[in-house]
Amino acid sequence: MLNVRLFDLTTLLFGVASVNYVAALYGKKETIARIGTWVCIAAAIVSTAAIGVRWAESYKMGIGRIPVTNLYESLVFFAWSVNLFYLAVEWKYKSRTFGAFVMPIAFGTMLFALTNESSIQPLVPALQSYWLHAHVITCFVGYAGFAVSAGVAVMFLMKAKREERKVTGGVVGRFPSTKVLDDLVYKAIVWGFPFLTAGIITGAAWANYAWGTYWSWDPKETWSLIVWLVYAAFLHARVTRGWHGRRAAILSIIGFLATIFCYLGVNLVLSGLHSYGGA
Amino acid sequence: MADAKHAESLMDRVWKFFTSLKLAIFVIIFLAIASIIGTVIEQNQPLEKYRQIYTDGTIRLFEKLSLFDMYHSWWFLLLLVLFTVNLICCTVDRLPRVVRIVRNPKTTLDENLEKSLGFVDRWKKKGELAALAETYRAAMGGAFARPRVTENSGTFHLYAEKGVASRFGVYVTHISIIIIFLGAIVGNVLGFKGYANIVEGESVRRIPTRGGTNHVDLGFSVRCNKFWVEYYPNGQPKEYASDLSVIENGREVLRKTIEVNDPLQYKGVWFYQASYGPAGASTVTVTVSNPDGGQRETISLSPGRHAEISGYGKISAVDYRPDFQGLGPALLVVLEKPGTQPAQFWLLKAFPEFDRQRKDTRYLSFAGLNEIFFTGLQVARDPGVNIVWLGCALMVIGIIIAFFLSHQRLWIRLSRGGDGRVEVVLAGSTNKNRLAFEKKFEKIQGDMKAVKP
Repeated sequence: MLNVRLFDLTTLLFGVASVNYVAALYGKKETIARIGTWVCIAAAIVSTAAIGVRWAESYKMGIGRIPVTNLYESLVFFAWSVNLFYLAVEWKYKSRTFGAFVMPIAFGTMLFALTNESSIQPLVPALQSYWLHAHVITCFVGYAGFAVSAGVAVMFLMKAKREERKVTGGVVGRFPSTKVLDDLVYKAIVWGFPFLTAGIITGAAWANYAWGTYWSWDPKETWSLIVWLVYAAFLHARVTRGWHGRRAAILSIIGFLATIFCYLGVNLVLSGLHSYGGA
Repeated sequence: MADAKHAESLMDRVWKFFTSLKLAIFVIIFLAIASIIGTVIEQNQPLEKYRQIYTDGTIRLFEKLSLFDMYHSWWFLLLLVLFTVNLICCTVDRLPRVVRIVRNPKTTLDENLEKSLGFVDRWKKKGELAALAETYRAAMGGAFARPRVTENSGTFHLYAEKGVASRFGVYVTHISIIIIFLGAIVGNVLGFKGYANIVEGESVRRIPTRGGTNHVDLGFSVRCNKFWVEYYPNGQPKEYASDLSVIENGREVLRKTIEVNDPLQYKGVWFYQASYGPAGASTVTVTVSNPDGGQRETISLSPGRHAEISGYGKISAVDYRPDFQGLGPALLVVLEKPGTQPAQFWLLKAFPEFDRQRKDTRYLSFAGLNEIFFTGLQVARDPGVNIVWLGCALMVIGIIIAFFLSHQRLWIRLSRGGDGRVEVVLAGSTNKNRLAFEKKFEKIQGDMKAVKP
């Protein structure tokens, strides 16, 4: 199928972009990083087209639906969101060093997607709902925000460690200041949090419309609540206790690990209602 | 007196405990840990299943701690109660203070305030004090927000603010959680959740509630007229649907076909398509015709039973295919005529004349499969659900207000300096997003300094 080939191309582009950003960091060549940006933009175009093509192809097969309904599709959609979120951050903060820490997340996600079944399967009755669109999109934009935050948190920890030892220059010398990094760790979560909240709410609304219960302590629901609580704790610690820097960065990374478990771990380890469970 | 004082300090301590962030963090962490435990230990499974996983001792321990139905255990509910009390106390403790700050803003920039602010700049300007105050008032309105002007013994103070709502975002969010809990309680106390398995053609009025032995009398009954399953070309189910009628006082008052994700609602009770199953054995209908066109007979066949066709032979159905080699539904029958070997052949629903090819005294046609299903419905009435949605909407709004708005304040003080020029002090503060405000403040600084009298 054309869409799968386009997604393969996207994977390649994410890989090239990741290599470029990392190489630019160590080689200290802005030009290489600039190429990385253009590769990311190309990847954004190709992956958007791939999603569109997949959507159209599903209609041609008589099972038309938005392509976010199994593990393969959700992974590529997550990578797509991370890429776009990253481009927005790069544009806003005028620094390409983030790319070396965020784009590998998108690349790794696509590599993992490649190991999964990629054919277009018809939708089971439970998933045939308009709530699907709102639910999946809000959740994944939220996840993408958390991914960016965690990537930047790693940068912060690297830079802070070097500064502690009073080492200047090197790879981290090209990073934005710790103040900017710390702020971005927070900002990305501030963007992700309302989307996760909306994702949980749309999920509850959908469950209520399909089964008559908006909350049933299903493992997926429960883990989304856990993730929500972790980031709620992060925001409280930051706003009311002034948790900045190291502690905030570590909490952001913990939050993202919980997010990954909520997204993948629950389906692979625990049992529940979500569609990519057995897939 | 001493007693009263003691009591007061005890009250103080209790109040401090319930309004503390420590309690909030403690409850949040414990809720998270408990939730993790609840996903690791599968909830509400039959005892046999637990026996396969855990030893008897572990099961006894887990039962004592209510870990098999943890989300409804007393201690989990206690955590939720603590969480709610904490939220209420924090709101009661802090909201009035915020209201006071918002209603009585500090409109004059005195020295103490100036020292406490992170963004301060000063410069001198030639000109007349009142005229300059007017100029800055206009400039501040353009660059930030319209200021209030107060004159205090020869000193002019200009004060403007933006994003006051940001101060309330956190309370909207916290109250929204309480509203959601309220909605959940209302639903649990006044509503019910049940299920109904209705065989096609039958109706129910009393609904057994989920997880209990009680029944709820709906006051009307629901009949399942028909149930069917649609399939994708690859055989995967595409849709389950039930044609339902609501019957009240012997009259049909509502009829609707429900599907998964498309429920029926009558008088606040919702019926959701949840499952289905076979209700007894299916039968098939076969018609028997004369090749000359006359004399028709319709017979119904049950699995494993013969049917007698008078003056012809005995027939039984042995296999059914929903799609036989792309030709549609087909039935395999065995025909036993007296004095001959039993013959086995397929009948195709799409080609009723197909069996003429045997060139016998009768030909058979497959008229269809009569599957009898029961439809499995979830039945729920939840008068609290709209309260929950109200809380959810407020939560999203509250979070957006809390994190995307910031309460930004700006002061300008104009006073006559010793050298005859006017001393201008510009100061600003924000409760959030310092970095963004820093840039904004720099721009305002530039604008204000460039002001021409």
